Amino acid sequence: MSDKSDSAVSRRKFLKTVGQGTAAVATAGIAGGAMHAAANKPAADSGKKNTVQYGMLIDLRRCIGCQACTVACKAEADVPMGVARSWVEYVEKGRYPNAGRSFLPRLCNHCSEPHCVRVCPTGATYERPQDGLIVIDQGVCIGCLYCAHACPYGVRFLNPVTRFADKCDMCIHRIYKGLVPSCVNTCQGRARIFGDVNDPNSEIHKLIAKNPVSVTRETYGTQPNVYYIGLDTTDENTKKPGQYVRVTTNKANSPKRT
Amino acid sequence: MEHHLMWNWPMIVYLFLAGLGAGALAVSGIVVLWDPAGEFRHRAALVARLGAFIGPLPVIIGTILLIYELGRPFRALNLFTSNFWFMFFNPSPMNWGSWFILFFCVFATVYALTFLPWKALLRGERGERLEARAERMRSPMAVICVPLAIAMAIYTAILLAAIPARPLWHTPVLWLLFTVSAISTGLSAIILVQRFMFRKPGAVRGAIRREDPAFRVSEYYLVSMKVLLIIAELVVIGLFIMFAHMTINSANFAVQVLLPGGELATTFWLGVILVGLLMPAFIEGFYLLRTAVLGHEFEWPYVINVSAPIAILFGGLMLRYVIVVGGQITGPIGI
Ligand code: SF4
Ligand code: SF4
Ligand code: SF4
Repeated sequence: MSDKSDSAVSRRKFLKTVGQGTAAVATAGIAGGAMHAAANKPAADSGKKNTVQYGMLIDLRRCIGCQACTVACKAEADVPMGVARSWVEYVEKGRYPNAGRSFLPRLCNHCSEPHCVRVCPTGATYERPQDGLIVIDQGVCIGCLYCAHACPYGVRFLNPVTRFADKCDMCIHRIYKGLVPSCVNTCQGRARIFGDVNDPNSEIHKLIAKNPVSVTRETYGTQPNVYYIGLDTTDENTKKPGQYVRVTTNKANSPKRT
Repeated sequence: MEHHLMWNWPMIVYLFLAGLGAGALAVSGIVVLWDPAGEFRHRAALVARLGAFIGPLPVIIGTILLIYELGRPFRALNLFTSNFWFMFFNPSPMNWGSWFILFFCVFATVYALTFLPWKALLRGERGERLEARAERMRSPMAVICVPLAIAMAIYTAILLAAIPARPLWHTPVLWLLFTVSAISTGLSAIILVQRFMFRKPGAVRGAIRREDPAFRVSEYYLVSMKVLLIIAELVVIGLFIMFAHMTINSANFAVQVLLPGGELATTFWLGVILVGLLMPAFIEGFYLLRTAVLGHEFEWPYVINVSAPIAILFGGLMLRYVIVVGGQITGPIGI
C-alpha cells in the first residue's frame, strides 16, 4: 500500500458514500452483529456508525517490540518528556525452557462508543463524523482530565506543556495529506496497518475480514477500532496460581497496566 | 510504588469541602423547615444560622481551589459557555456539577443573607424592614436549598461513580456513602463552630447562652443525630466493601487496596474507620448514654467536646483521600 493510493481510495470512497446517502447510514446500526463478516458487502454493513471509520490493525506476529513507533510518535507530535501517546508493553511468561515474550503496542483505540466523549463536560473531546476519529479541541478543553479517568485504556494524559488533555489523534495532519501515521510509517516489520476499516477495498478491511482479530478490554463496550492479530491476553492480575508472568508497560507515567 | 495521580489533593479537598458545605446547608434548611415559626427561634435558631453561614463558604473555597489547579482559570468558563441547554443532552456529570455549583453558591449565599442580623447592622426603619423581609424569605429559600444541597452531595459521588474504567468508584453504593458522610461532616462543622463560640458562657451577644437549657437540649439532639449518622456510615462502608468484594471482576481487585495488606489499608482502617468513625462514636455515645440512661447533665470536658467533631472532619477528608487515590491506583484488570 503506497501512501498515495490509500488516500485516493478513501477520497473516492467518501464521495461514493455521500452519494448513497442516509439509507446506507440507516442500515449501519441494524447490521451490528455481522461486523466485517464479508469483504465485498457495502461498507455500511460493517456495523460501524460512521461511513468512513479510520482504524489500525496491529499484526503482533510481526511486532518485535523495538519501540520505533513510540519514538516516531513522540517526535511527530512533539510529545513532552514523561508522557506518551503510544507505547509498547512487554509480557514475559513461563519458565525456561517453556518461556515466551510478547508485545502489545498501545494507542488510542478511536472507539466507536468512546467513554471519553461521554464524560467530557465541555464537548472538547468529540467524534469526527467524517472519519470516526476521536479528537480533542484544544481551544475548548479545560484540562480537567475527566476523560483520562474514563478511558479504559489509560491512553489519555495531561500534556505538561499545554496543560490540556492529549492523546493519539491518528496523525490527522498526515493522513489528510495522503501519508500514513508516523508510527505506521516507521514500523520496520509492517506490523501496523492503517486504513478505513469500512472500505471493502482497503488492506485493513481485508485483513480484518480474513484473520482472527481481537480488541483490548472488549467488555467495556467501547468498540475499539484498533485491532490486533495474535493478541496475548496474559496479565499479571489474572494469571493462574504458580504461573510466572511479568508485565513491563514501558509507559512513561504508569508502571501498571491499569 | 510510585503512582501517577491525575486527580490529587485539590480534587480530594474539593470533594470533601463540597460535601461539607452541602451537608451544613442541608442540616440548616431542614431545621428551618422543621419548625418555621414559634419554637424554632429559641431552640434551633443557632444551628440553622451557623449551617447557613457555613454552607456556601467551603464550596466556594473548594471551587476556587479546583479552578486554580487547572492552571488556566478562565478556561473553566468553557463549562458554561457550551450553553445552558447543553446540560440536558450532555450526560457528563461534571457539566451537571458545574451548574449545581453555580446555583448552589448563588442560592446558599442568598439564604445565608437571610440570617444576617439586619436590625443590628442597619439601624432604623430600613434595618427592620430588611429583617422582616429576610425572615419571610428564609423558609422559601430553605425549600430551594435543601434539594440543591442534597443534589450537590450526591453529585460529588456520581462524578466518580460514572466511570466504569475506575472499578473502585463505579459502584451504586458510593453516592450513599458520600451523602451520609457529607451530612455528618456538615453537622460536625456546625457543632464545632458552635463549641468554639460558646467556650465562655454568653460569648455571643443576643444568641442563646450556654447555660440556657435550650442550648443543652439542642446540643443533645445534634450529637445523637451525629452518632446515628456515624453508625449509618459504618453500615454503608460495609456495603461498599461487600459489594465490591462480591463482584467477580476488576472491582474485586480494586477493593483489595482497602483491605488488610492493601496499599491504602492503614489510612483507611486507622484514618477513616478508627479515628474518623469509631472514636467519636464511642466518645459521644458514652456521654449521650450517660444522659439518656443515668439522667446526668449533658456536659463534658471541653477538649473531648471539640476533638470529636474534628475527628469526624478528619475522617471525612481521609475517606475522600482513600476513594480518590484508591480509584486511581487500581483499574481494569486484564489487557
Ligand atoms: S481508547 Fe480511550 S481515549 Fe481513545 S477513543 Fe477509546 S475511550 Fe476514548
Ligand atoms: S480534560 Fe478536556 S477533553 Fe478531557 S474531559 Fe476535561 S475538558 Fe474534556
Ligand atoms: S497515529 Fe500518530 S499520534 Fe497515534 S500513535 Fe501513531 S504516531 Fe502517535
